[in-house]
Amino acid sequence: MSGASMRPFDELDVSPLEFWSTTMEERDKTFSVLRRERPLSWHRPMQGGLLAPDIDGVWVATSHELIAEVSKKPEIYSSAQGINMEDLSEDIVEAASSMLGTDPPKHGSLRKVISSAFTPKRVSLIQEQIEGQAARIVDDLLKEKEGDFVKLVSKRLPMWTVFEMLGLEEELREETALHAEELVSWNDDDVAAGRQPMELLNGALVSLLTIGMEFAGRRRAEPKSDLMTALVQAEVDGRKLTDDEIGSFFVLLSVAGNDTTRNTTTIAARALQDFPVQRALLMEDFDGRIGGAIEEFVRWTSPVMSFRRTVTEDTVLGGHDLLKGDWVVMLYTSGNRDESVFVDPWKFDITRSPNPHQGFGGGGPHFCMGNFVAKMQLRAIFDQLLHRAPNLRVGDPDFLTGSFVRSVKSMPCTVD
Amino acid sequence: MGFADADEVEKYLGGIFAEALADQEIGPKLRATGISLKTVYADPDVTLLIDLGAGQVTRVDESAESGAEMRMAADTGNSYWQGKVNLPLAMAKGKVKVSGDIASLLKLAPLTKKLVPAYVARLNADGRTDLLA
Repeated sequence: MSGASMRPFDELDVSPLEFWSTTMEERDKTFSVLRRERPLSWHRPMQGGLLAPDIDGVWVATSHELIAEVSKKPEIYSSAQGINMEDLSEDIVEAASSMLGTDPPKHGSLRKVISSAFTPKRVSLIQEQIEGQAARIVDDLLKEKEGDFVKLVSKRLPMWTVFEMLGLEEELREETALHAEELVSWNDDDVAAGRQPMELLNGALVSLLTIGMEFAGRRRAEPKSDLMTALVQAEVDGRKLTDDEIGSFFVLLSVAGNDTTRNTTTIAARALQDFPVQRALLMEDFDGRIGGAIEEFVRWTSPVMSFRRTVTEDTVLGGHDLLKGDWVVMLYTSGNRDESVFVDPWKFDITRSPNPHQGFGGGGPHFCMGNFVAKMQLRAIFDQLLHRAPNLRVGDPDFLTGSFVRSVKSMPCTVD
Repeated sequence: MGFADADEVEKYLGGIFAEALADQEIGPKLRATGISLKTVYADPDVTLLIDLGAGQVTRVDESAESGAEMRMAADTGNSYWQGKVNLPLAMAKGKVKVSGDIASLLKLAPLTKKLVPAYVARLNADGRTDLLA
């Protein structure tokens, strides 16, 4: 027996899919005990429909401090062997994760080339476009008057932003967004609709890669003034992106750009309704308080609940001996409710300061590169919603099952 | 340089499965999947049926029945077994086509990656450095 297989599993079980089908509030009762008493704990491998992992168990980091420590030491806690709580083949990690699934120095060089395409001029252009689009979305909401908030509002702005920025042709956007959604939904029966988890995931991935690589090919042949053209032309230190790297980055951008902001919009809309005092506070000085409010929206939502690392050398974390090859899962969803960092963490407080949330990651080289675009979108959409649809009422969100993203499939709404 | 003829494709791309089935660690895992996989190679053309449940690799007609099917150029197969082909990316580029029980097929992928060193070692042992990617 290996050392890892002899460790007893924690009595609080966070591995069953059933655990991840409950609410964040419910799950946090367990995380709260772990954070305070055993911020690093050993658990059975995550239950799920993908590969049967070739590991004895997983370390789960629940405290803000340990999540930050793991995030900031990429040389010890590697992303290249997978970033999910569930096991995926190396091929899928490479094809689906782009720079998320790489370590230094490859990570830095890839991120540098990709960043070079996001010029200040492009960013300021995006900002104006986002504001215009947010206004159009709320125009339509006011006409519709009722329906699914996710469909009518939250999914529209991120989808539009990411694809407009890239320059993806209009007729491909719905299909691409659908595959992006499927890619993170393998454990949800509604989305899978009878398909095996692995079949769903791989099918979505191959479709996204195909769309991305064909799109890159069109821009190579006929350059335009969009981000995809900038990506195919980008060159830093003599390095250009390969077709495979562009395809993979297209997947990352389609997923990370759509899902996270969509869910933050949905969950924050509900929070502003549930906490009317906070909403009133925001409305008293929207321009002065929206910046802090957005940080709280992201903390409150924790749109990415977990990422995983693999230990590259024997080390010590939180007083435990970790062995090379061990998996460490960082639960941002727990770090963002850490009582030792956030006073009254279950209070939605738009004036919270400081607010060192881990909604964009725990720090270090993988900190969310698109965070500024997400903030622009959240500011624009809530500016429009709160000022122009003050009587918006939303119902109960229907959450996706899974341990990766905190996603809302639908949420009813009405406007008077 | 690539494979000279169908016999060579069978020898190497079929042979790696035969070797894997005989492996103490990987063999039982492959058998346990119970998958029958038809690999249709082109240039040179040859179709192999890998019946993992029965532990057999046989040359068959392209129309043979199977649970899952993979189609690719023999050269792509040679690169795959050397760990140089990313399956989803190859599928997106149309270099590898899969059909049938895709979920089971994909679960095989991590097991097959473990066979890369054995495949490369065999090419080297046979002096087939011309086939090294």
